[in-house]
Amino acid sequence: MSHKPVWYIWIPLIIVAIAIPAGFFYVDWSKSGSGAGLYSRKWVPEAIFAYWSPDDFYQSVESVTGEFEGEQCLECHEAVTPGIVNDWRESRHSSPGAGTAAVYCSACHGNDHQQLRMPTPEVCGECHSVQHGQFEDEKRFGFPSHSLALERALEARHFVDKPKAEVTACLNCHSVASKCDSCHTRHRFSAAEARRPEACITCHSGPPHPDDETFFASAHGRIYLAEGEQWDWSKPLRKGNYRAPTCAYCHMDEGKHQVADKSIWGFGLQQINPLGSVNEIKRNKWVTLCSDCHEPDWSRQQLSGLDAERKRAWSKLGDAEAVLKTLRADDLLYPAAGERAPYPNDWLDSIHPRARIGFFEGQASAFYNVSPIERDYFEMWYFDNLGAYKGAAHGDAGFVQRGHAAMDQSLAAIKDQAASLRRLNEMEQQRGVQRPAPTELWKSGEYTEFNREQN
Amino acid sequence: MSRLGTILLMLCSITATAGTRVQGEFENSACLACHDEQDSELVAAWRDSAHGSVETTATCVSCHGNDHAEVASRARRDASCIACHGGPRGPVVHSYTTSKHGVLVRLEPGDRKQPLSSANYRAPGCAYCHMHSGNHDVATVIRSWQPEQAVAVDERERVQDAQRSVCQDCHAPRYITNLFDNGERMLEIGHMKVREAAALMKQARADHEAAALQDAEQHFLRMKQQHMKNLYLGVAHQSPDYQWWHGQPSLDGDLIRIRGAIGLLRRLKALESVEKNSGPASEQRTQ
Repeated sequence: MSHKPVWYIWIPLIIVAIAIPAGFFYVDWSKSGSGAGLYSRKWVPEAIFAYWSPDDFYQSVESVTGEFEGEQCLECHEAVTPGIVNDWRESRHSSPGAGTAAVYCSACHGNDHQQLRMPTPEVCGECHSVQHGQFEDEKRFGFPSHSLALERALEARHFVDKPKAEVTACLNCHSVASKCDSCHTRHRFSAAEARRPEACITCHSGPPHPDDETFFASAHGRIYLAEGEQWDWSKPLRKGNYRAPTCAYCHMDEGKHQVADKSIWGFGLQQINPLGSVNEIKRNKWVTLCSDCHEPDWSRQQLSGLDAERKRAWSKLGDAEAVLKTLRADDLLYPAAGERAPYPNDWLDSIHPRARIGFFEGQASAFYNVSPIERDYFEMWYFDNLGAYKGAAHGDAGFVQRGHAAMDQSLAAIKDQAASLRRLNEMEQQRGVQRPAPTELWKSGEYTEFNREQN
Repeated sequence: MSRLGTILLMLCSITATAGTRVQGEFENSACLACHDEQDSELVAAWRDSAHGSVETTATCVSCHGNDHAEVASRARRDASCIACHGGPRGPVVHSYTTSKHGVLVRLEPGDRKQPLSSANYRAPGCAYCHMHSGNHDVATVIRSWQPEQAVAVDERERVQDAQRSVCQDCHAPRYITNLFDNGERMLEIGHMKVREAAALMKQARADHEAAALQDAEQHFLRMKQQHMKNLYLGVAHQSPDYQWWHGQPSLDGDLIRIRGAIGLLRRLKALESVEKNSGPASEQRTQ
């Protein structure tokens, strides 16, 4: 019996041999546009982005020529921008102690004024290698994360889809991945400053992450507000050094430069199983940390309390999501997905319009160009729910109570609206009325058109 | 009273010429009696400002207190401004206190005996920007604003020039320009959203009765008065939280709700029009 060579065995092999390099090529190509990240070919950056993502966008000023050493930089900038020179003079960079040379401007920015650089964590890491190593290591825990924050923003659908001047604030905070001075503000770069809870609140405030309000209202926060001014903030974040914990004491214990290794519920947008084996490890880390002051049993109870609060929240969110998905299945969303302004850069949306509901369908980016009931759910999920979560996690019972009351109200309103949409539809069918196409009401308008053409 | 004023005035000029510090507690009228002479420009700037026009609430002593030994340092605290400007949780103050500037001032208030200039402070408090170098015309770095369109170019440029001279105590010229330009574009996008809503409301008012539009009108008002103002404050105080969460997506939400309310009215109207010629509806269905 002779074996004929089976020629078609080559077809999948050839396809694979082409597809894999093509895939790599495509990703490289899509990252090589005027913007940054996976969708870089679809947008042009605002000039200010240069300071928040220097590796992608920063180009030196060319107004001054020449090469300069430290004292020369200071001489000029003392007159031009005295504030930053004052800061530097009071920093450890200027007086690092006996036997260590001062770190002048040029060490971080370079000497050539035509080719200045904006320091990134890599630059700081040249000296602060332990902290930089920890910061980089954070990436392996996935989102949410400081070191992955910038790519999270650049690759968010709404960031790509909206005009860049509108979404500038995203990068203002998410640049925490590319500049150490988000927490150790320039040009003092103080460890003590970053240990204070206020160092976090410029970004960790507002409806989806009221970390500031929930912490300051907690027992820990109230102790800080009453006594914090008197504490010695030069001490490391370690047992016995502080009477009450602050943001960094818990989330960056012992000064470890990553915040993700103990995160059980993450950002709070997804339901998870808090009792899985990985989460058990994280839970034990929390209990160890809380044991700096509290009994282990008491700490476990607090953490279970958070799980119980999350379970209650997710039962409400699940109900609301089910209401929305049923409406979508019955074609009762008004306007329906195809009747709204499209997301300009979402090609799939243009051929197969679909309302995005819930985390896995990308509703985190679908807070505009959607029907009112979807927006109501977005707010319930993103604001009420996350507020309650942060209240429970930080120990602010008032915020938990208000968040759940708000969720109850939102759920009731969503059910009400769904019933109205259903009743309206029944009446239209009974009377043979065609539901008026809302297309023109939703697809035109000055901003909507600007977004479509010039995002 | 006038005799007392004259005596005080004499006392002030004597102490001033003698170069000694003024001591004692003073009422507003006494402050003015002396400083109208001593600092006529400063007092005139205050009189022309919004603070001066509501004399009963923002007098000298409201900010400076009445203990002459601490007048300057007392007025340089942010706390002097906060009570009248909406309290700590109001958007005017909160957009600032959560900004990096606000945070740094809280952590390092600095030596308030220093004048409000030349980067004498780690970060700018309210007065460092709004009353730079002791300028008592608080409107110098504030522009008027409207929800639907940007302020006239000459006013914008006047205010930006004044702002630039403050920012450059610490920040590089290109950085300032980039931030200003970006802020203008961000605000213009907000204005576009408000104008889009205004056009929708104009049409809706022509199509429907006022009573039916209450819901949409409320959202439109909140859009103009609250969310657009948040955006302005976010840009002015450099608060990412107010630029974004309290600003842009909130404006998006207003647009959705205004459209939703109008869309619902259209459907109800279509139903009503059939009801009026009722009968045909059931016939149509059976055909």
